[in-house]
Amino acid sequence: MSTLTAEAPVVLSASAEVVAERRRRPGWLRRHGRALAALAVLAGVMFPFLWLVQLAFRPAAGIFDDALLFTPTLEGFASLLQGNFLRSFWNSLAVSTLSTVLSLAIGVPAAYALTRWRFRGRRQVALWILVTRMAPPIAFTIPFFLAFRWLGLQDTLVGLALVYLTFNLAIVIWLMQTFFEAVPPALEEAAYIDGCGVWQAFWRIALPLTAPGLAATAVLCFIFSWNDFFYALILTRTQAVTAPVAIVNFLQYEGWEWAKIAAAGTLVALPVVVFTVLVRGYLVRGLTAGGVKD
Amino acid sequence: MASLIAAPAGGWQAERRRAFAFGLAPALAVLLVITLLPAAALLVGSLTPLSLTDPAGTFRFDDPLVNYRHLLGDERFLGSIGTQLQLSVASVALQLGVGLGLALLLDGRSAVLRATRTVFLIPMVLPPIVVALIWKIIYTPDVSPVHRALEAAGWPVRSLIANPDTALWAIAFADTWQWFPFTLLMVLAALQTLPADPVEAASLDGANRWQLFRYIVFPHIRPVLVVCGLFRLIDSFKAFPLIYVLTDGGPGNVTEVTNYYGFIQAFNFSYWGYGSAIAMVILAGVFLLSWGIGKLGWNTHEHPDR
Repeated sequence: MSTLTAEAPVVLSASAEVVAERRRRPGWLRRHGRALAALAVLAGVMFPFLWLVQLAFRPAAGIFDDALLFTPTLEGFASLLQGNFLRSFWNSLAVSTLSTVLSLAIGVPAAYALTRWRFRGRRQVALWILVTRMAPPIAFTIPFFLAFRWLGLQDTLVGLALVYLTFNLAIVIWLMQTFFEAVPPALEEAAYIDGCGVWQAFWRIALPLTAPGLAATAVLCFIFSWNDFFYALILTRTQAVTAPVAIVNFLQYEGWEWAKIAAAGTLVALPVVVFTVLVRGYLVRGLTAGGVKD
Repeated sequence: MASLIAAPAGGWQAERRRAFAFGLAPALAVLLVITLLPAAALLVGSLTPLSLTDPAGTFRFDDPLVNYRHLLGDERFLGSIGTQLQLSVASVALQLGVGLGLALLLDGRSAVLRATRTVFLIPMVLPPIVVALIWKIIYTPDVSPVHRALEAAGWPVRSLIANPDTALWAIAFADTWQWFPFTLLMVLAALQTLPADPVEAASLDGANRWQLFRYIVFPHIRPVLVVCGLFRLIDSFKAFPLIYVLTDGGPGNVTEVTNYYGFIQAFNFSYWGYGSAIAMVILAGVFLLSWGIGKLGWNTHEHPDR
């Protein structure tokens, strides 16, 4: 490898001279052209999102103004405090946290067992879990809607958190398997020899070693629950309404109050954007889970 | 291996198996209750004319295929499948194109490009309802920067989502905006595993950029593109928030996809049996495509070729 890299520059610089001879063009644009183009595209792509955010800070009276410059105000956010929006925001937070904790508690040991235990039917189980991720929500919603009416779980946070397990468990089991696979089994085998049981070894060795992966998985579960709209729309009425449903209610009943609506949208987007920037690397792994051959 | 250690460690092996089964059992039990049970209930429900008006009286099986027979003659349902296919094909093709193009642009080592790659993820992770809200604003002439600019230029346009000719395209465009980062991510990952030698050799042989792409880069990323396409196709059957917020299936029913029609039948008209039958049809489509992915050999966690 080292000989290759030592030779390559020589060859390249020889050919580079020929190329440079042919088109002796300004170097600056050539060197930074790609980055400039990327930034230009980025600005274009992000424009609709930024427009929403700036709308949230506009004074309600000047919402239809053409002026690009305006005095930012928090009126939009302040008006959210008066209605039921805070409550729905809290509901979203509670239901996402509850569902994340539940799916980690149930899913992480299962992922560990699936990684370390080669049993017959393991492939079928793994496939079943993958298909769960693929299934369209409407297929689950009708039975859940009817069952929840009967069980009295309709319009409750617990019911909603249970439904979110349908996608979160699959995510936890898939993702944590890839993290556990990266832990060398020899470490746990050494612990067995020292007299640890399977789950003691899991708790003391495998789990601490996968802590960053565990955190990333938790973040993803949280985001997926936080982002859900379809289940919340159908399975809640008034008590357990989540923030995305509250936004739609604004659009339907107060459709002219754009500053308020945009403020609500910005608030709901905020945690997700923060998480994205914080845990980018792991996020990529999770978002493409089941898609990337790793 | 097993026979070698069977005598002394047999008891321990059995104990280990029991411990693993103990860890796996709760997850499988929960999955059974929240996925297989509802799927079975859906199938059973789809064989009855179950509806809100008379839940007890309509839960009967004297004509189990009645819903499916109705589906075959339901113009609105058949139309919704056509709409679904149009929307899915258009938006998946756009996503693949945009994602691939951007991946080629962003595949570099500079700090600027790396930072840009992170920001480009945002549309995909945003709550779908916020994406829908963003595009509702863009498509609403009152508050849309685009509409205002066009108006200022003396060229006012009708809202794209109110016009039956453009409504589906407006949704496809918003959907593309939301999901191109998925293809971008996957293609970027594939590009990073592109071996450098063939590229160098070809460029020394005088291949131009297009030839490099056509004969070396593209064959390398083609499998990833196929998988991306299938994944996005499956997910596109679930499109809901964009349609719910932007058009509500209209104008008329030009943007009413199958998923949305199922939602209307089940939750607006409370024809649960009929809605279940529609959901079964979507489920069958998803299974077929998933099976296609399985055939391609992805995600088995066991790759003999590696």
